[in-house]
Amino acid sequence: MTQPATLASDYSNEVAQEPIEHRFNPYTGIAGEDFAVLAGDTRNTSGYNINSRYDPRVFDVGDNLLLTANGFAADSAQLISVFKNQLEWYHFDHNKALSPQSAARFIQHLLYGKRFFPYYVYTILAGLDEEGKGAIYSFDPVGSYEREQCRAAGAASSLIMPFLDNQVNFKNQMDPASHGTEKRPLRYLSLEEVIQLVRDAFTSVTERHIQVGDGLEILIVTKDGVKTEYYPLKKD
Amino acid sequence: MVGKDCVAIACDLRLGNQSLGVANNFEKVFQLGHVFLGLTGLASDVLTVHENFRMKANLYKMREEREIEPESFANLVSSTLYERRFGPWFVGPIVAGINSKTGKPFICSFDFIGCPDFAKDFAVSGTASDQLYGMCESLYEPNLEPEDLFETISQALLNAADRDTLSGWGAAVYVITKDKVIKRYLKSRQD
Amino acid sequence: MFLTRSEYDRGVSTFSPEGRLFQVEYSLEAIKLGSTAIGICTSEGVILGVEKRVTSSLLESDSIEKIMEIDTHVGCAMSGLTADARSMIDHARVASVQHDLYYHEKIGIESLTQSVCDLALRFGEGASGEKRLMSRPFGVALLIAGYDDDKGPQLYHAEPSGTFYRYDAKAIGSGSEGAQTELQNEYHKSLTLADAEVLALKTLKQVMEEKLDSTNAQLASVTKEHGFRIYEDKEIAKIIDVLKEQEQAEEES
Repeated sequence: MTQPATLASDYSNEVAQEPIEHRFNPYTGIAGEDFAVLAGDTRNTSGYNINSRYDPRVFDVGDNLLLTANGFAADSAQLISVFKNQLEWYHFDHNKALSPQSAARFIQHLLYGKRFFPYYVYTILAGLDEEGKGAIYSFDPVGSYEREQCRAAGAASSLIMPFLDNQVNFKNQMDPASHGTEKRPLRYLSLEEVIQLVRDAFTSVTERHIQVGDGLEILIVTKDGVKTEYYPLKKD
Repeated sequence: MVGKDCVAIACDLRLGNQSLGVANNFEKVFQLGHVFLGLTGLASDVLTVHENFRMKANLYKMREEREIEPESFANLVSSTLYERRFGPWFVGPIVAGINSKTGKPFICSFDFIGCPDFAKDFAVSGTASDQLYGMCESLYEPNLEPEDLFETISQALLNAADRDTLSGWGAAVYVITKDKVIKRYLKSRQD
Repeated sequence: MFLTRSEYDRGVSTFSPEGRLFQVEYSLEAIKLGSTAIGICTSEGVILGVEKRVTSSLLESDSIEKIMEIDTHVGCAMSGLTADARSMIDHARVASVQHDLYYHEKIGIESLTQSVCDLALRFGEGASGEKRLMSRPFGVALLIAGYDDDKGPQLYHAEPSGTFYRYDAKAIGSGSEGAQTELQNEYHKSLTLADAEVLALKTLKQVMEEKLDSTNAQLASVTKEHGFRIYEDKEIAKIIDVLKEQEQAEEES
């Protein structure tokens, strides 16, 4: 679909020279009241080839933060390892945990630091904010970021995102009792609902997008730490 | 979109020149007898192709002394578009209707040179097709009653259009059963 | 110390055979020549107090700046060669603003103190090739007072040697010995901010040569609610009044 014209990376003519591995798999982050999930399929592709059917790309980077960087595999790996390394330094320098909002700002600087030869990735960060509420931060390749309730990035993001708008933020839904005069009131989804939503989204997208499939890995962050769940997807 | 003994077809109302919005009452679904034709793409071709098919449907009616059935009309669309294989109409047609003899719902979509896709469940077309595929694939279930089908197709269209800058500015939905056609206009975001 | 003076006090980065760096030790002496500065940390916030030496009746006392803001949530008081403090405070301000830029949060007071102290040893070349920034050690000590969400109100003492310690209450400068003893006697954990204001002035009064008034002393506080704030002369005058009342009450009893 049409990209927003303000996306700075559209104007960069220095984007990587034909990299070996492309990954444009979808990643979905959804924030709940006291949890956040970050999910992605585990297929790694380049062109029409499948490099791996199980290549998990959502990471528990420590401090109850989940991170994924979707796009070129090498840039993604580099960004995440640089982040992990800098997180260690943050611990040494300040001896405390990095909050999601600080992590988000820091990632902006990692990305914008390569403004003229960007990491070719769409990044999503998930964690719990100061109040213990789920937080999702999404980034464009050069570091513009925003906190959201949900976000889909990667290959099939255009397929998933409107579904999330509708099912998480109740967009275009009305309160039936009001006869179409009141919007359906927002509420936090439960973890069970969110996982079901993510699974529905991925099984649907697996049907329609060739780069998506094989397996779905969902990482869930709560105050008690990070849990990982795996569900198989179609392998075709 | 196909339901239980019913079909629905919907379109947004925007006419635009790239990012410039031109009109908010440009309907892209046309009724030809009991067959419905949705046309996305170049607006001038949408109008011309519609007129063209209206003529062909009328000629068919005069020669055959009956209204054209959706299946036949789909084949007509396919062959007509392929005639212009090397100077095509820039349209993405969708045909929907209920066969008046068998009562079977029918839908079909095409690429701009007439390759048909006889889908069993739903068919999409236009600039928001990615979004529509995502919405339909996740919201759709088989054998919906007309009112449920209306809700499903409306939610699919509205949410898909809201994630596409080129789509929106209102919507029109037709729910078609054997003996009745209900047309509704939907309000939507005006941005 | 001056008895052991030898050739080893020439180079700033040459140890004496006894393992001492004389130039650094001398820099600590420079602080003892400075005006007295006091910091008191309470559960409600931190108070900084300094004495201003108004050496001439023609001197504009407002122009003596010995308490400075580093960021909205930290400030510092200084004693010694106050000109040296400018580069330290500059460094601290940059560190604080940069931390906010990179992490969108207020820098921790301990981290900030550490970053100032990192600067203190830059009179020699760094181990990993950092350039030599200064010809000699700093001649100033700082009392860094601040508030952060993790550790609450805090007070640090940063020395030219690059070491720093956290204190409940600390005095530096020429009157520091007497003042520290006074603080030692008077400090307790349940001190309120208002108590600390009075205690700071009371302690200063004892060690100052001139008579304490609102122009030759300065106060500042750091609280969670208002951050760093330098007191107006009027406020100081009020606290002096409170102090006087207290002293009178003590005399009578």
